[in-house]
Amino acid sequence: MSRILPFVLVAAALAAWELVARSGLWSPLLFPSLAKIGYELALFVSGSEGLSQAWISLQRALSGFGLAAAAGVLAGMLMGRSRWVAGLLDPLFSGTYAVPKLALFPIFIFVFGIGSLSKIALIFLECLYPIVIITSQGARGVNRVLLWSAQNMGASRAEILRRVVIPATAPYIFAGFRVALPVALIVVIITEMVSSADGLGYVVVYALSSLKTDRMLAVVVVIALLGWLLDRALVALRNRAVYWEKLETYYV
Amino acid sequence: MGLARAVFYLSLLLLWQLAWMWGLPHYILGPLEVLRHFVAALGSEELYGHIVASLLRSLPGFAIGASLGIAFGLAAGVSRRFDQIFSPAVFLTYPVPKIVMLPLFMLWFGIGDLSKILIIALACFYPTFINAYYGARSTPTILVWSALNMGAGRLEIFRKVVLPSALPLIFAGLRVSLALSFIVMFAAEMINARSGLGHLIRVAENSLRFDLMYVSLVTIAILGYLGDSLLRRTRRRVLAWQEHPA
Repeated sequence: MSRILPFVLVAAALAAWELVARSGLWSPLLFPSLAKIGYELALFVSGSEGLSQAWISLQRALSGFGLAAAAGVLAGMLMGRSRWVAGLLDPLFSGTYAVPKLALFPIFIFVFGIGSLSKIALIFLECLYPIVIITSQGARGVNRVLLWSAQNMGASRAEILRRVVIPATAPYIFAGFRVALPVALIVVIITEMVSSADGLGYVVVYALSSLKTDRMLAVVVVIALLGWLLDRALVALRNRAVYWEKLETYYV
Repeated sequence: MGLARAVFYLSLLLLWQLAWMWGLPHYILGPLEVLRHFVAALGSEELYGHIVASLLRSLPGFAIGASLGIAFGLAAGVSRRFDQIFSPAVFLTYPVPKIVMLPLFMLWFGIGDLSKILIIALACFYPTFINAYYGARSTPTILVWSALNMGAGRLEIFRKVVLPSALPLIFAGLRVSLALSFIVMFAAEMINARSGLGHLIRVAENSLRFDLMYVSLVTIAILGYLGDSLLRRTRRRVLAWQEHPA
């Protein structure tokens, strides 16, 4: 019983959708049937056009995320280990944390052009925050006893960094990555919806303006799958890299 | 430290201003210019209309999404049956960018404010749900046992033990949701709206009114900052008993 329970709600939601679609109360434009969505999905995945659009979005999301990961870990480590750097940068990050960086996008378009670069820059900026904040928390909280013992045993600063600080911070770094990765996907889709001629976000807007709701929903499913797969991949990577600490989440 | 910090930020601003005077592309304004345009916009009525329009979308969306998220998250954290039925659906759809549902919501609920409020609520639901859920689950069992031992009822345990121990995480979730509500509001307005700060920045972009672009940017930045500090202040008051209020 308890093994089926998790699927009950999802199955019920799908059944309700199909019921609504077939009831004829609403136009199939508003609730296309699952079969039609599935057909469009198959079409999208089998054609090279759809996959290349997905690849474009994925490239943008991962480039921005990768840059933010590199810069964010570096900045977070520095902020966590140096009181001086923390004092300088903390107000910047906590003060602008709740500011929607998306508002910079129009300016980024003028600075970096309308192509991929402005989108990557915005993804970088949005992903930077969670990575920096969580990494610096982790680096700040490294067990002092471990640092002292390493010092006592004659470890150099570089050695302490490599063998104590980085392993102790690694779980936090990955926690930051896990918050940032969906953000990268959100931002790439938003920017492609707002201004683009390619990518999945554009396909969604285009399908809607040509009133192909079924195709739009198929693309939404693709985006959802992409988000889920990226998260799975990151968790797998995390469990290999930080094998000594079990991921303390329940479902995910 | 305070002095070094002030010098650091002032010199950044100074560098920016100097770079602008030296000659930056015309779409990048110097800090003094931005300030001047912003003050000028504060004197006009137009800006306030956009601010009100934006807040009337983001705040109801945040309130609906966050309260539902907290309620369902606590319920799932407390009741095993509800957890098994509800949580998988939430965690399965968690990494999906909720904004892609906006076009569909516009079909279902019209292109007016309702679809935007609902999409903001949807986006705000997830962080509050997950944090309330983990908050409730991380209640130390020993506290629940002691309360049981002292004869507390289920409702009393929930109110006096589970809720207080979940509060720090609930506030963390609220903070993420609030930031998210502004992002989604801005995105929705950029994609389709006739008023609001996101709309304003689109208009400015299309008509190359760079002053308006920066006014909109500064306004949303200030709103985001104010909302966040209000939330943090509330947390400090509510969680005054906590040892290390972050």
